[in-house]
Amino acid sequence: MKDFKYIWVIGLVVTLLIVIVPILLFVSREAEAEEDPWHFLPERVPHVDHTDLMTGPYESGPDVTRACLECHEDAAHEVTETVHWTWESEPVMLEGRDQPITIGKKNSINNFCIGIQGNWTGCTRCHAGYGWEDADFDFSNEENVDCLVCHEQTGTYTKSNSGLPSEGVDLAVVAQSVGMPTRTNCGSCHFNGGGGNAVKHGDLDGSLFFPTENIDVHMGRHDFQCVDCHLTENHEVEGHLISVSADDHSDLACTSCHDESLHEDERITAHLDAIACQTCHVPEGAVRQATKMDWDWSTAGQDLPEDPHEYLKIKGSFVYEQNFMPDYAWFNGKADRYILGDKIDPTVSTVLNQPRGDIHDREAKIWPFKVHTANQPYDPNYNHLLQPKTVGEGGYWTEFDWDMAARLGAEAAGIEYSGEVGFAPTEMYWVLSHMVVSKEEALQCHDCHSEDGRMDWEALGYYGDPIRWGGRSQTIGLNK
Amino acid sequence: MRYSSMFRLRKLSRLQRFLAAGLILALLSVGALGTVAAQSSPLHPTFPFLDADGQNVLESGQPVSTMETCGACHDTAFISEHSFHTDVGLSEMMPPGQTSSGRPWDTSPGLFGRWNPLTYRFLSPEGDERIDMTTAEWVSTFGVRHAGGGPAEIGQNGQPLTDLPVYKGDPETHIVDPGTGELIPWDWEESGTVEMNCFLCHTQEPNNDARIEALHDGQFRWANTATLLGTGIVDQVGDQWTWNETAFDDEGSLLENAITIQGPTSGNCAQCHGLVHVESETPLALSGCTPEQWSTITTGQIVSPQRISDSGMNISAKEDLGRSWDVHAERVIDCTDCHHSLNNPVYFQESDESQPDHLTFDPRRIDHGEYLYRPLHQFAKGQSAQGSLAPELDNTARRCESCHNIEETHDWLPYKERHIDAVSCESCHIPELYAPSRQYIDWTVLKPDGSAVAGCRGIEEEGETFSSMLITPYKPALLPRENSDGSTSLAPYNLLTSWFWIYGDPERPVPQRDLEAAWLDGDEYHPEILSLFDKNDDGQLDSSELVIDSGEKETLIASRLAAAGLDNPRIASEIQTYSINHNVTHGDWVTKDCRTCHGSDSLVTQPVKLSDRIPGQRLPTFVGDDSVAAEGSIFADEAGDLYYQLETGEANLYVLGHDSVNLVDWLGSFIFIATILGVVTHGGLRLFMSRRNLTAHEPELQGVYMYSVYERLWHWLQTLVIFVLLFTGLIIHKPDKFGVFSFSYVVQVHNIMALILVLNAALAAFYHFASGEIQQFLPRPRGFFDQAFAQAKFYLHGIFRGAEHPFEKTPQRKMNPLQQVTYFAILNILLPLQILTGLFMWGAQRWPDIVASMGGLPFLAPLHTLVSWLFASFIILHVYLTTTGHEPLASIKGMIMGWDEVEVHGHEAPSTAGD
Repeated sequence: MKDFKYIWVIGLVVTLLIVIVPILLFVSREAEAEEDPWHFLPERVPHVDHTDLMTGPYESGPDVTRACLECHEDAAHEVTETVHWTWESEPVMLEGRDQPITIGKKNSINNFCIGIQGNWTGCTRCHAGYGWEDADFDFSNEENVDCLVCHEQTGTYTKSNSGLPSEGVDLAVVAQSVGMPTRTNCGSCHFNGGGGNAVKHGDLDGSLFFPTENIDVHMGRHDFQCVDCHLTENHEVEGHLISVSADDHSDLACTSCHDESLHEDERITAHLDAIACQTCHVPEGAVRQATKMDWDWSTAGQDLPEDPHEYLKIKGSFVYEQNFMPDYAWFNGKADRYILGDKIDPTVSTVLNQPRGDIHDREAKIWPFKVHTANQPYDPNYNHLLQPKTVGEGGYWTEFDWDMAARLGAEAAGIEYSGEVGFAPTEMYWVLSHMVVSKEEALQCHDCHSEDGRMDWEALGYYGDPIRWGGRSQTIGLNK
Repeated sequence: MRYSSMFRLRKLSRLQRFLAAGLILALLSVGALGTVAAQSSPLHPTFPFLDADGQNVLESGQPVSTMETCGACHDTAFISEHSFHTDVGLSEMMPPGQTSSGRPWDTSPGLFGRWNPLTYRFLSPEGDERIDMTTAEWVSTFGVRHAGGGPAEIGQNGQPLTDLPVYKGDPETHIVDPGTGELIPWDWEESGTVEMNCFLCHTQEPNNDARIEALHDGQFRWANTATLLGTGIVDQVGDQWTWNETAFDDEGSLLENAITIQGPTSGNCAQCHGLVHVESETPLALSGCTPEQWSTITTGQIVSPQRISDSGMNISAKEDLGRSWDVHAERVIDCTDCHHSLNNPVYFQESDESQPDHLTFDPRRIDHGEYLYRPLHQFAKGQSAQGSLAPELDNTARRCESCHNIEETHDWLPYKERHIDAVSCESCHIPELYAPSRQYIDWTVLKPDGSAVAGCRGIEEEGETFSSMLITPYKPALLPRENSDGSTSLAPYNLLTSWFWIYGDPERPVPQRDLEAAWLDGDEYHPEILSLFDKNDDGQLDSSELVIDSGEKETLIASRLAAAGLDNPRIASEIQTYSINHNVTHGDWVTKDCRTCHGSDSLVTQPVKLSDRIPGQRLPTFVGDDSVAAEGSIFADEAGDLYYQLETGEANLYVLGHDSVNLVDWLGSFIFIATILGVVTHGGLRLFMSRRNLTAHEPELQGVYMYSVYERLWHWLQTLVIFVLLFTGLIIHKPDKFGVFSFSYVVQVHNIMALILVLNAALAAFYHFASGEIQQFLPRPRGFFDQAFAQAKFYLHGIFRGAEHPFEKTPQRKMNPLQQVTYFAILNILLPLQILTGLFMWGAQRWPDIVASMGGLPFLAPLHTLVSWLFASFIILHVYLTTTGHEPLASIKGMIMGWDEVEVHGHEAPSTAGD
């Protein structure tokens, strides 16, 4: 020891350790840095200018697709495996049925324009492909995949009947502009669901093309594109909606980026057991542009003054609402689905896609919904909903003949038709996940927990306001 | 509404007043005719409305008597006798000048008899020559914020007002004629009195405006009935009140769906205590800095769950204020959740004094029925500066810690217990108020409408419209509050300063009518006043001109007042502190930055602006009973603004990082710098001399193993720890100069280092004692002085000439006498002193009483600082002196590697034996 030359090194290390270790152990630092949500954003692929690559000229949509496929060989095939192309889910086993079924825009009905069968030329304007004009569309023909609708960036590309590019679109210019899909691409179809801007979803409309941060904090303040959350790999876009999907296998959630424990306040964190993020963070639907809340088909066909927000001869009368308070219901990610042919009780409102879950279901939380009510055609003898033909020859929008429309539609859809048309009330639930407000604008306690609060506690299964009566655990029993 | 007209009877005849009021009310009640209230209380049984004689009002047409009506089931006599909302000081009346406030004209601690400069009128004590306000006028004006009963019903001797014999000059049975100042009789039989008004707090939509009208009009007997206007139970047409028979059933009892009895909500409390805003849809908006919302005007508090950024007020940087006005309101807590009735079985808890130690909770209490029969209307209250009424009920309300778990949530705070003791929760959790509040009120001058000139905190000046003025949030003053348990802690306050004329002996405030007479001639100023005050000659006096800022102006007004018969009019001034307990916030909005208080710009000693004027150059004094130990100074700056500033020393506070004793710092740094200079001089001289090669002595050196591993370890550990302690200590002492460091982190490191130091020193002490090495440190008395002298001579003279060391170092005797003495002092005096002062500074949170008895931080901290300066100086000296060996760096190397160089002496064979 006396002669060890490097004793001083040992001494230095020991001394430093004696000082540093207690500091590290006992000094409390500021709160740990959370997982940064930005960490989860997908890397944006750098843009490649296609001006010299897509010289054209192109005669048709499939011409363009063929040109794309010269380099992007697998792209079209990938698309054909997705629901943007098939408009149909994989077979899924739904509760209460003995056989797996597929659902999707291809074969299901809603309570807006009801169904596409027989109406393909009109409805497939929003299909990510070209030429789906009848039941015999070849889903295996990859050259019919429409690359442009999602990738073009000129803003001049529109699709017309059967999904074909509109007259006058310069396909070469459009093809040269391709890039990563933006809100303009997705929104060109998704904002116009139901037949026009802002009609259908309640949380998706034209105000989201270039929103301010008051409309949506992600798209407004941070300029998020759809694909930043709806992560896409091999053209498979994440996300689903219970109008056209029955299960939650392709789910995306706020917690994909945001840490669950991000609320500093424990009381708010305690709410996460029973409340979905959207419930507090999407306080209103259709914040800027009114959405359709009710559609009465039975009044259609009359020569009354027309107004797209009130009455159209081809469609009937509507009720639009802007900045509406959502309806709240338990939802565990899955929903029932009305399939063509299912029996209904016309004296009560048929819910076409009832969200599943209740207060006892630990997977379920309270979510905000837009509930769209409608009065739509049904067959009073078979007691099932009808899917009328509206577009094209014999369609209601030309003939204004419900009987003809119902017969032709039933043929196309493969359901029975007795010859009589009645109107039955229906409802559909549309989850509100967009138009997220900034945290400063989220709901406060008294928005729900007050005399005129938003929640109907007893309808949700609580004894009363949980602040006073106890929360879910106390209502259903602490050990459940 | 004009400020003063709220508290002034109009000069119309009675008939005219009734007609005017009735017309307005008739228009209001037209809509209510025949309608019955919308919502119903499911549980309250139906009951007849009885008048004061016990008759059903449907038969007698008389006003409803709450005592009789509600008294059918509830013990109303008990209720009204046990309610300070009713009593408001009546049972505590005393001769003027004996109240806790210290004012010579106050006669009680409550609304009835205690003066407030905001309202200005005062209840004249009996015997006063010049009467300002009598009981009847009090009921009519102040009664607006009074729940009825008490002084509105009963005289000061306990008899009902209606039974009082009318003696000439008796304020209780007369009223002052505003024109002549003479007393004219008041007929209590005719006006009636006001019983405790149950409807005001216990119905869903009490009509407070109608009630106020009735009080203003002197229609006291109908005030409680007026509260029901709009419910459809009673209607008023002109002068006539009629009970609506359709609201009653066949037996004369109220229809079930007309019953709107409920427990009081925040909205009920807000009628008098204002401002409360619970509607989430409508943006909150204030109409001005007005006294209608008492709590708001006195403190800037607004109780609302709404986010400030959603309000409709013009607040600076409002978009960033995403916090709610009040977090408890946000969390759906009502006033009565904290300010509950003291015998409410839900909240009832036995008092600490009688509760035995073995019980934390006693479930025995009155049942609901007993409570409903005799609900104590003594409500839990805190201990506010302005709440002088019912001091025996102070601190019955839940404090923060009775609901909140402070231990868990403040783990991030160093010295958590110390902070909790010294600083009230509100100090950090109510960092700013976002509504304007009164700053000062100057009654020495008068505006043409008869109101005083007033300034509001947070807004520049009262201009044309309130909504156009920008509101800047203000930080409340932090003053030491004397808690009921004897301790003192800092708490937030608003300081409201007032100036006013007093006269006579005993002093009285000059009655408003006399002020008006002195200043105004109708609606205009007297010409001589106008000419003296009007600086810009525009024929008008604005707020900046309306100030008594010269002896001439003071004399003018004083002489006018004297001419009106007021003896010796002079200006007086006072500061009333208002406690701030609401508008609590949480999370990021709370004060969390240590430097807010621990820095030279400490919030604790921020100058608080009192006013922009000093009328008559009178400096204000604090009102006597606000339990604020305000030790500070009131001073004016160059602009003529008046400020108050707390002095931490006088308040026996020592805020680390802010306070320091200048003498200590000067002395310490002087010693430090002197040491450096000395060392530089000595060393420089040595260097110079050695260059000149004047060394005569070339010693033969030998390596000796001087220091064991442990000795070196404890030495260097001590070195490192002391360095870090000095460095962190310096940052704590002057945090502003070291802004890059986190104060909280540095404090914790300092404490850990101190602990390591103590452990290290203790272990080293044990080693030295156990091994006997301690002998080295003890100076031998024999020959001590001679040796010490020789050593000193060497350092001062011999060393420059390369003389032989008088003392040779051996492993058995490593230190010369001077060293021994120095280390003796260091290790037995300085080090223990530093450790103990540090220990007790830390221990102020664990043993507060012991530390307080030592003098507390104001004594310990400066001493700790001085010793640290001495340590710093010692280090300089010590390191330098290690170079006085044969080779300059030999001793340092010795302390690292263990081997030192020792001179070989002929007569002293150095021992080479190891350790």
